[in-house]
Amino acid sequence: MKRTFASIFRKEMIHIFRDVQSLFMVLTMPILMLLLYGYAITLDMKGIDIAIIDQSHSPESRSLVEHISSTDFFRITARDVPVDSVSRLFNSRTVRCVLVIPQDYARELVAAPGPQVQLLVDASDPNAANFINNYVGRVISEENVRLSGHSPVLFNVSPRIFYNPDMRSADFFVPGLIGLILILISSLLTSIAIVREKETGTMEQLLVSPIKPLQLILGKVLPYTMLGFIDGVLILVVGSLWFNVPITGSLVLVLTMMLIYVVTGISLGILVSTLAKNQAIAMLAAVMLTILPTVMMSGFIFPIASMPKALQYVAAIVPATYFMEIIRGIVLKGNTLANLYQPAGILLAMDVLLIVLATRLFRVRLE
Amino acid sequence: MHRIFYIVQKEFRQIRRTKAYFGLIFVAPFVMLLVMGSAITTEVKHVPVVVLDRDHSPKSREIVNACAASSSFSFLGMVDSQAAAKELLDDGKVKLVIDVPAHFARDVATGAAPSVQVLVDGVDGNSAGVGLGYVTAMLAQVQARWAAERPSRMPAGPAQISVVPRMWYNPNLESKLNFVPGLIGVLLVMMTTFLTAVNIVREKEVGTLEQLMVTPLASLELMIGKIIPFAILGFAQLTMSVIAAGVVFGIWMKGGLLTFYAMAAVFALSTLGLGIFVSTLARTQQQAMFIAWFIMIFALLLSGFFVPIENMPPFIQYITYVNPLRYFITVLREIYVKGTEFRFMWREALAMGAIGVAAIVSASVRFQKRVK
Repeated sequence: MKRTFASIFRKEMIHIFRDVQSLFMVLTMPILMLLLYGYAITLDMKGIDIAIIDQSHSPESRSLVEHISSTDFFRITARDVPVDSVSRLFNSRTVRCVLVIPQDYARELVAAPGPQVQLLVDASDPNAANFINNYVGRVISEENVRLSGHSPVLFNVSPRIFYNPDMRSADFFVPGLIGLILILISSLLTSIAIVREKETGTMEQLLVSPIKPLQLILGKVLPYTMLGFIDGVLILVVGSLWFNVPITGSLVLVLTMMLIYVVTGISLGILVSTLAKNQAIAMLAAVMLTILPTVMMSGFIFPIASMPKALQYVAAIVPATYFMEIIRGIVLKGNTLANLYQPAGILLAMDVLLIVLATRLFRVRLE
Repeated sequence: MHRIFYIVQKEFRQIRRTKAYFGLIFVAPFVMLLVMGSAITTEVKHVPVVVLDRDHSPKSREIVNACAASSSFSFLGMVDSQAAAKELLDDGKVKLVIDVPAHFARDVATGAAPSVQVLVDGVDGNSAGVGLGYVTAMLAQVQARWAAERPSRMPAGPAQISVVPRMWYNPNLESKLNFVPGLIGVLLVMMTTFLTAVNIVREKEVGTLEQLMVTPLASLELMIGKIIPFAILGFAQLTMSVIAAGVVFGIWMKGGLLTFYAMAAVFALSTLGLGIFVSTLARTQQQAMFIAWFIMIFALLLSGFFVPIENMPPFIQYITYVNPLRYFITVLREIYVKGTEFRFMWREALAMGAIGVAAIVSASVRFQKRVK
């Protein structure tokens, strides 16, 4: 019993190590993705090209311009261009925004209500437009405080940011990436490994041997489970050493949850393998059924609460949705099981359901 | 020359027999645009929020009401203590907590400028920043209203500079308008790169590629014969994507159709070249898809599709210069959202053309080597 299982396991390991090219990809891809997400997806903008049209030409307006140019958020690339050339500036992408200081700026500063400066933004990238608008708002309110000598406000707003005080994207993506890579490796590799035996006809040979189907499946998927697990740990290690992502919660809990989640991925992989006739279809199905929903709809990048209602229901049946909550909770918030019993329970229930389904369907295929 | 024609004819026969292609051309654009166009959003909506009111005054209730009325938040009620609020944050039930201090109304009246504390779940830095922005804006509005209602015996405040923002091209800052045109480009890459690579590798796997090679067909002819059908399929799908974007989201291009197709043709050079290139690297279809998928993710992340390129560190910005998708995404957005004319985009066209020619040439060199 143990020997048959062990020999299947060993055979699968030989397969893996023989295909060095794929093994190399499996091990380097997560690290590359981590570096990419950690560096490329930062949401703090810098060096935004701005044009300033100062119609006032007064010491007051110059002080405002100086204030703007002193921040590294903006880079002034054009000055005092004619107002009707703005659309040309936007079309040629010379600048992203234009600040117009009116002629009466200095005069109106003397008494309330005060002058209005106009901010024209190329909003074809709405996210950037939002950032620009907020930033200008901040500069102007600083300028207001400076002018009036005291804070003119009735009350202040003081934010306290928890869990990720610098709001770094690496902190957000490292745990999320574990969720993505684990399901990618476990479902994709599992389904392909099983379908390949079907395609080449060796599955039938295995089935007529005294190996029980359960042993066969376990022996086949266990090596890939280990690969996926190694990838997950790799991301965790690189994330904490290179990107200094703190692991605040219990490491044991993280690993346990990863294990539960890998089982989900593998059951999905087995399910896909029962549906697919050849590797190309298995690959496509695995991408469609597991990877795309994980990237798009689990909250990996895009917040679920912002999606239309219909997609939120879809998100609710994507296992990764719960895993993302769990792993971010443990790694960043220091959550314990007391906080996470709900998503963890749902994930476990999904596991049970998928395993039952997978073994059922797999049996049917064998007959 | 007519040999190329035979290859093209053969490919089209095979394509006609494969029903999946019709799904890819006619159905996929609708489904992909519908799902991805709705799911991909950098807008932050319905931020779950609770309020901790320690003042219980009309003033603090006004803040609660403003919060409940705002469409940016999903207001989940009140909490009694900061510990309870922290617990909700820990559980992930809320992302924001507005904490109004005791004696808030009194301090506002006396001009002591109390602080309203906002507790933010910072895990998702982007959403956290935007959510915090919502709170600040909402409280600023409340504040402005109170300032206006202030009794006249207090001196009128000093002059205040105000900003009047004007959002051009996308006044409501809709995320869709940004992502849907980009998705059209992404679909084009999938169609041309993936299918070309997998198609050639399949002939390799089945062994028919060798048969083609012993015919009088030159390898360059073979390559062109392979490219043409997939270019045509790609353009058919591109057209369907344009229609789908219009029908599903009501997003039609503002710029010229001719510019659009010309730019797409220049861009397709590089994706088709890439497809051929991948086919020379891969031995099996599985590998071909894996490599293509891998390259695609990189191209997508470094294209400015999700994140503006200005946000990236300089050394990554340099990498994006050789990414053809970077230019095409820019072009798509310009044509779709701003209606920009070609004379403002010749640099992008030039860059895509150069990358495209380089891709095709290096792919054909490799392809020829493999053949011999």
